[in-house]
Amino acid sequence: MADMSSRSQKPVDRLGLAMRASHVLVAIFVVLGLICAAIGAANQDTFFLRLATEALIFAGLALSVDILLGYTGLLSLGQALYFGMGAYISALVLKEVPSFWLAMGAVLVASFVVSLLAGMVANRVRGVYFALVTFGLAQVAARAVYNTRAIGASDGLIGIPIVPINLGFGTFMSSSPAPFFIFTLAFIVILYLISAYILDTPFGRILVALRANERRVPFLGYSTWNARLAAYVLAGVVAALSGALYPMLRGFVSPELLFFATSGNAVITVVTGGVGTLAGALYGSVILTVLKSVVGSMTEHHLIVIGLLFMAVVIFLPKGLMGLVRPRIERMLSGGDR
Amino acid sequence: MTAVLSVHDLGVSFGGIHAVNGVSFSAEPNAITTVIGPNGAGKSTLFNLISGLIRPSNGRVMLRGMDRTGAKPHLMQRAGLGRSFQITNLFFELTVLENLRLAAQRLEPSARLWLPVRRSHRALARVDALIERFGLASKVGELAGALSHGEQRRLEIAVALAAEPSILLLDEPTQGMSHADTADTAKLIRDLAKDVTILLIEHDIGVVMDISHHIVVMHQGKKIAEGAPAVVRADPAVQAAYFGHA
Repeated sequence: MADMSSRSQKPVDRLGLAMRASHVLVAIFVVLGLICAAIGAANQDTFFLRLATEALIFAGLALSVDILLGYTGLLSLGQALYFGMGAYISALVLKEVPSFWLAMGAVLVASFVVSLLAGMVANRVRGVYFALVTFGLAQVAARAVYNTRAIGASDGLIGIPIVPINLGFGTFMSSSPAPFFIFTLAFIVILYLISAYILDTPFGRILVALRANERRVPFLGYSTWNARLAAYVLAGVVAALSGALYPMLRGFVSPELLFFATSGNAVITVVTGGVGTLAGALYGSVILTVLKSVVGSMTEHHLIVIGLLFMAVVIFLPKGLMGLVRPRIERMLSGGDR
Repeated sequence: MTAVLSVHDLGVSFGGIHAVNGVSFSAEPNAITTVIGPNGAGKSTLFNLISGLIRPSNGRVMLRGMDRTGAKPHLMQRAGLGRSFQITNLFFELTVLENLRLAAQRLEPSARLWLPVRRSHRALARVDALIERFGLASKVGELAGALSHGEQRRLEIAVALAAEPSILLLDEPTQGMSHADTADTAKLIRDLAKDVTILLIEHDIGVVMDISHHIVVMHQGKKIAEGAPAVVRADPAVQAAYFGHA
């Protein structure tokens, strides 16, 4: 029993270790992504690069779900609200002024304000009621968009212009598949790194404490209300910034982006990839997007396959794909430490 | 010396039942003040009133000379109050280390809230000291939920103490403990009183008489007696209500 303890002079911070293991998995993800980009570019491919870019964009949405579900213990069934909002605001800005940075700035500000306000409503309740309120808020927004002629109603907005993306060291067009894929990869990885950094600070650990035992948190000197609201806003902004890339990739936005299917898919993505790992959101999104596309090309009943897969994961891999591999990496990392 | 904590005419009623009714007392610095009373006397409710979990319907709570009546728990914590719970209330799925680190992170300047936790040097030093003092060195990396009951009770006290409170409220720290563990815990609490003022709820009358400096006796929501252990023991009203007639 006491064999390990005597050895560990500096005790291992399990949460920090788990996060470092996630970093390793994301590094592998980036390498795989770059290899795919190279292969795609060499073959003059458009379809698969664009599909992969879409997977990355939805990975950002899944990331936001994992911040809430995996770290703070809040199940949001309405993250599509922010994802869709980001897509629409980005589309509206780009139609007026084709400026990438202006679109991103507008999405950042708008999502911050809206998630703060909506968070004040949603945070009044806990558990299943929180899930229902987030679901309801997204449904209200989706219906409003669906019925508003000025922003395209059920047709959505089409004809979003191709935008030049100026990164300081160079400019490329959102229509060129390989550069835009690599850019999106970098963008999502930055969102991941920001989230991971925040979750590894004392503030982030309060979120983890909320998930573990909310009742004790006030006695650590922290307002649970403020902490949950901050997590909700962070997740809202991450989802919206990811969504902002969608019209640049597709050239259109539609109300479906705000529908429950989008929110639900993000939850399925996180559960498949591994709740509370962040890296799982990235892998899960690629798996789900590819699966949907491949199975979808064979049968129109691809949702049956997704549903069965989801059930299989919940039953056989309750900790998702990352639950299978991350503990091994943790062991390797802690072994190298001592 | 001024009292670290004093309550004046504190009370709350739930649907007409006075769970705590006009209770007044003070906790003197570095002393152990113990609240005793039969089950249902209102002891835990009194703790909940003081720590901000329940809003009092009348009376005042003074902490370090400031009126903190009705302040929320996290504000009471920041004002210098630490408390433990009768039913173990830890982060069971987190390690012993993380439980203590979370509880100690308030010691860091607020700017450090946004730096990685490994940079929380003050909090981590505090954690080391607590691990040493509470004999949890062999358990640091284990999940709190995997500890034995006695270890969890000890961790519960350590977590309450981590942010260096001015007053520590301990709600039945020896609950469910073996005789040996109870004796160890009593000794530990007596040692703690050198650094911190302690307000204790305790059922083990041997422990109470042994370590308390001041005893407050509650019965049916009211304070029926208070004083030094010997005084309280001799009080006929206490004997009637609490010890029963021999």
